[in-house]
Amino acid sequence: MKQIDKIVFGDNQFFGINHMSQEKAQQLAEKFFDINSIYKVYDYSLEAGVQAVMLNSNDRAKEICNHFRANPQKYQDIQWYPSIPYPHKYANLVAEKGIFPAINEVLFKDNSAMQVLGLMAKGGMAVMGKDAMKIMQMLIDVEMKIFKGLDVKVVFLQNIITDLILGYGIKEVFEEYCEHIRNKYKALPGLITQNMPYLLTKLKEWEIKEVVVCSSFNKIGYLMSPDLNSYIEAANNNNREEFQLMAMSTLASGAISAKEAYEFINQQKIQSVVFGASSKSHIEETVKLINFQ
Amino acid sequence: MSKKIKLAIIGVGRMGITHYSIINSHPEVEIESVADTAGIILSMMDKYLSIKTFKDYNELLELTNPDAILVCTPPNLHFPIIKKASSKGIHIFVEKPFTTKLSEASELNAIYSSIGLINQVGYVNRFNDIFGKVKELLDNKVIGKIIRFKSEMFSCTITKSDESSGWRGSRESGGGAVFEMASHAIDLVNFLIGKPDKVTGSSLNQIFSKNVEDAVSSTFLYKNGISGTLYINWSDSSYRKPTNKMEIFGDQGRILADQHSLKIFLNKPNKDYNLQQGWNTLYITDVFKSVPFYVRGNEFTSQLYHFIDCIQDKKKINKCTFADGVNTLEVIENIFSDYEQNGRVIK
Repeated sequence: MKQIDKIVFGDNQFFGINHMSQEKAQQLAEKFFDINSIYKVYDYSLEAGVQAVMLNSNDRAKEICNHFRANPQKYQDIQWYPSIPYPHKYANLVAEKGIFPAINEVLFKDNSAMQVLGLMAKGGMAVMGKDAMKIMQMLIDVEMKIFKGLDVKVVFLQNIITDLILGYGIKEVFEEYCEHIRNKYKALPGLITQNMPYLLTKLKEWEIKEVVVCSSFNKIGYLMSPDLNSYIEAANNNNREEFQLMAMSTLASGAISAKEAYEFINQQKIQSVVFGASSKSHIEETVKLINFQ
Repeated sequence: MSKKIKLAIIGVGRMGITHYSIINSHPEVEIESVADTAGIILSMMDKYLSIKTFKDYNELLELTNPDAILVCTPPNLHFPIIKKASSKGIHIFVEKPFTTKLSEASELNAIYSSIGLINQVGYVNRFNDIFGKVKELLDNKVIGKIIRFKSEMFSCTITKSDESSGWRGSRESGGGAVFEMASHAIDLVNFLIGKPDKVTGSSLNQIFSKNVEDAVSSTFLYKNGISGTLYINWSDSSYRKPTNKMEIFGDQGRILADQHSLKIFLNKPNKDYNLQQGWNTLYITDVFKSVPFYVRGNEFTSQLYHFIDCIQDKKKINKCTFADGVNTLEVIENIFSDYEQNGRVIK
């Protein structure tokens, strides 16, 4: 399996996401209202030596991707780690219209006529009910359009979807997702989860391998089900040829200081860390602190 | 070793789909059957899951024998489903709002109280670790005697005009900001402060919806002198996620809380809770309890696992019973009638 980058620069800080405090989230949303302030922070991370970016396919991602494509010389070495879909888009649409009209809208809105025809030829609403896998592929392709032309290394499925399907225990969805990402995007399939030990157990049982698994990993066990010890144990027993592990929420939304957080992280058997920060000094400090084997 | 609880889910829309995933992770639960009117969902479930599926919930109730049911249909169907299930001795978890009519809610509550089966309504904020902490602080009089409160909820659920379709487009079937959202904020008031004795000054606003309200406000009065206000708006684009806010003023301090953090100002330090004089902040990361399986927030898992715990251990006291659902519905009906008494109606 192709090795993933040890340090990946995340995007939650740009989009008003903070799991601990809605007030902090609001302050961040204000700070990054001007998209140029986002580009500035990306440049800080590059200057600090980071060469990999995780970006969720939300409303602003399109513009950000355009910026990176427009400056190929400056950004040619960046490896992309998209995460799909943007869950809130679906949550609000589903609340407003119901599940299937929402899927319909996502697939057919914002697609030019030719693309719609292409999608129709592949699936067509009539057969949708019979073939959930085809719907999934079409939804992935819609989400992935904005990353076209960028060097995509891993495509992550957001935890709300991964964990929902994991609860149902449907092997085929994970198989098909991984196959589609490998075949169509020539990238590694990635799964974000808040249930890392259980996901690894199921993937092994289903003989699905060579997957990148990204999960919260912090010393207070925040957003880590069932508990911290199960995570440490699962990482210790993991074969990195089968699954590469990436840690997110390492600071538990700010509950742990960076120094303390990475002292813990550096002792774990993981392959990568995704972190978000919005100032030059925090980015530089974090890059220096991340130092695991 | 107790045998597995046989579970059925009636209604697999937005909430039913999530609940399926969560409760399917419970080692002592086996999902046996599902009923929904949407053929697409059923055909997918038939294909990928080994469960029985039914287009009509009546058939599910007649042909299978579940120990417990999760009822996640549009709210106007809750009453006939639960009434029928009660005659078969089935434990019920029902999504909020409990029903669309107070009289129906009271009838179901009377039935379930007398047959002694587990009955729970899905007011999930009661299982949020921050609001649980607020309840504990209030019960222990940490901010003294409660004088005033404010219960608010905001989201960007409905942000453009559209032809309302499905059950969400009419009050009769349980749609609108009062049934769907304010019910959470009202239940939080009932949970933390108690049920108001009088509802007054209510107003409903339409922002984008054609036939239901998008915003609601009201004033709650209590015989013991407490008063509070309610304000809910589900067309507020400044909120990325649904947010409940609760502010409570007591004669010894003040609490500001949402699902993720709690600020408390105290006139004097409190040693029992390690709180200093002046402002203190507690984050969800300080008070959370891990859950066995996470899909969309600890509280959603805690709520369903609590339902199963109550079925397994009859001594457990359920945290959100049909009686609580009746109380919330009573406040809701009071808000509607208070608004209509002023000669106004939502059309």
